[in-house]
Amino acid sequence: MGRGIAGIRLEQVWKIYDNGYVAVADVTFEAAEGEFLVLLGPSGCGKTTLLRLVAGLETVSRGTIRIGDQVVNDVPPRDRDIAMVFQNYALYPHMTVYENMAFGLKLRRVPKAEIDRRVRAAARVLELEHLLDRRPHQLSGGQRQRVAVGRAIVREPRVFLFDEPLSNLDARLRVEMRAELARLHRELGRTMLYVTHDQVEAMTLGQRIVVLNQGRVQQIGTPLDVYHRPANRFVAGFIGNPPMNFIDGRLERLNGLRFVGEGGHVQVPLAEAEWPNIQPGQRVTLGVRPEAVIPTTPERATVQGPVETVEVLGAVAHLYVRVGQTTVVAQVDAAQCPAPEQTAYLHFDSTRIHLFDAETGQALLRLA
Amino acid sequence: MRRLLLYLILGIGLVVFAYPFVWMGIATFTPEAEIPELTLLPSRWTLDHYRLVFERLPVWRGLLNSLVVALAVTASVLVFTSMAAYALAKLHWRGRETVFSIILFTMMVPFLLLLIPLYTLVVRLGWTDSLLGLIVPFMMNATGVLILRQSFLTIPRDLIDAARIDGCGELRILFTIVWPLSVPALVTVGLLTFIGSWNEVLWPIIVVREVQWMTLPQLVALFAVGGGAEGQLGPQLAAAFLLALPIVLAYLFFQRYFIQSFATGGLKG
Ligand SMILES: Nc1ncnc2c1ncn2[C@@H]1O[C@H](COP(=O)(O)OP(=O)(O)OP(=O)(O)O)[C@@H](O)[C@H]1O
Ligand SMILES: [Mg+2]
Repeated sequence: MGRGIAGIRLEQVWKIYDNGYVAVADVTFEAAEGEFLVLLGPSGCGKTTLLRLVAGLETVSRGTIRIGDQVVNDVPPRDRDIAMVFQNYALYPHMTVYENMAFGLKLRRVPKAEIDRRVRAAARVLELEHLLDRRPHQLSGGQRQRVAVGRAIVREPRVFLFDEPLSNLDARLRVEMRAELARLHRELGRTMLYVTHDQVEAMTLGQRIVVLNQGRVQQIGTPLDVYHRPANRFVAGFIGNPPMNFIDGRLERLNGLRFVGEGGHVQVPLAEAEWPNIQPGQRVTLGVRPEAVIPTTPERATVQGPVETVEVLGAVAHLYVRVGQTTVVAQVDAAQCPAPEQTAYLHFDSTRIHLFDAETGQALLRLA
Repeated sequence: MRRLLLYLILGIGLVVFAYPFVWMGIATFTPEAEIPELTLLPSRWTLDHYRLVFERLPVWRGLLNSLVVALAVTASVLVFTSMAAYALAKLHWRGRETVFSIILFTMMVPFLLLLIPLYTLVVRLGWTDSLLGLIVPFMMNATGVLILRQSFLTIPRDLIDAARIDGCGELRILFTIVWPLSVPALVTVGLLTFIGSWNEVLWPIIVVREVQWMTLPQLVALFAVGGGAEGQLGPQLAAAFLLALPIVLAYLFFQRYFIQSFATGGLKG
């Protein structure tokens, strides 16, 4: 306690449950001291398992976990100097808000006056002062969530672990608490490991994001990194809303190298110099985000087809256009979007297209 | 009209169930000659029966022995069964299911089967004619483990993990987190154990021969069949009434939890 900040390092960590299920496979990453690192992935990909491994609530099957300089594989949770906020808050139902927050400190024999000071300070920050005598069942979801955060803060741990702490809140409260957590991180300056399946949370809170799928790390990078330079098709498809358009096809040489997909309905010329690792005949998947699909004139169109649906979201609209057997989504200016049934002419911004190997799903290297 | 009928039926039920007990209570204050008339209104009230009981029996000593035994048994059953139930419900270890099956199996073994080996053991340990011999064999029981395990299973895993992170060891989790959340089940197990221990007659009769270590039910049973009452019904009933009183009081005091526990599935499965 009070030993300040510490980073976390996982090296080739595996978790194989008793029933043989491999929940975490060969995971290596590091959260620097004071960093806000987000673990992002779909449901069941092993995020909670990873967090519980760091907390010491599960034992690693292989690999090492370090907090600070210390290998903590065999250190029990209470000696790891961490605090965790659980998805369902896990407040002690038979204790008041005050007692919930003070419990961990009492066990650590912190003097009464100091406990009182810390609990009241945390309550002030989280606007819980008037609720200190209530029990958890007398609180709203948002208040419970804040108590759970308060219980973590008063401990002043070296590392904070959050397991989807906002997933049980309504949309408005979630935005509020997101800002709150970002502010807490700035003020406390502690290392935070934050698990979520919500990419908006990941993008807005994370200094870096670890994208996980089926227990494996897919990519580690800043939010903009993973958004603009996804390492593989999974990351590209998981991050972004509406998701990236994918079109299967192959590379052909006709008037220069081009991507031909969807039975010839989609043809995209490629600047050969930018793509060092591609060859004609190669089977690839082309990816392009909706905002890189731009309405244009019939002459300049990369693809065209009838508009299926239009979703107007205020300033922008999502245009679903039928191209061959598939649907391409474009994000367009709501003021000038075509009506359903009309033919839309769309252009793929060639500086913002991605190519993925059709077999491995790995992104193909692009220069510049 | 419907209501009236309902009350009538309930009333009849009440009389059928309550009458014997009420009669017994009144009979202990009724002169011996009038008792066989099953009257609820004796011609005069008398304390003779109780006087006789207190003269012939060391009632206070028996009460004390019974209380010590029942309380000690109940306390240790609560502690030990909840430890076992916690390990079975909330900890992961090899062989957990097997151990649970074995515990369930012991429920099917009739006590009579255990009587002789247990007695031999107690004799070997030199615990005959002592309260220890009455307490130790009953310090743990399978029913308690079953009821408490069922209740502990409903406590969320994260709550226990939160306590682990907050700094609790397993025993502290059991007593500061799990216990306060399992009060109805604990009261149920406590009451069942207490009543069971209080009413036990056979085992004390086998293990204890000296009057000073006899429990109240043992004294009453020996009094009733052993001729101490000189064949009079009144003193026998008075002694039995003394025996039932603490149990009734305990039940009235705890019944709120008792019913709640059964209602919330404390015995499910
Ligand atoms: N104790 C366990 N025994 C066996 N398998 C488990 C155990 N706990 C979790 N799993 C499995 O491990 C996988 C990962 O679980 P985990 O809870 O880590 O996922 P998650 O990424 O947190 O998902 P969610 O977003 O739904 O919370 C799941 O397929 C789950 O079924
Ligand atoms: Mg989870």
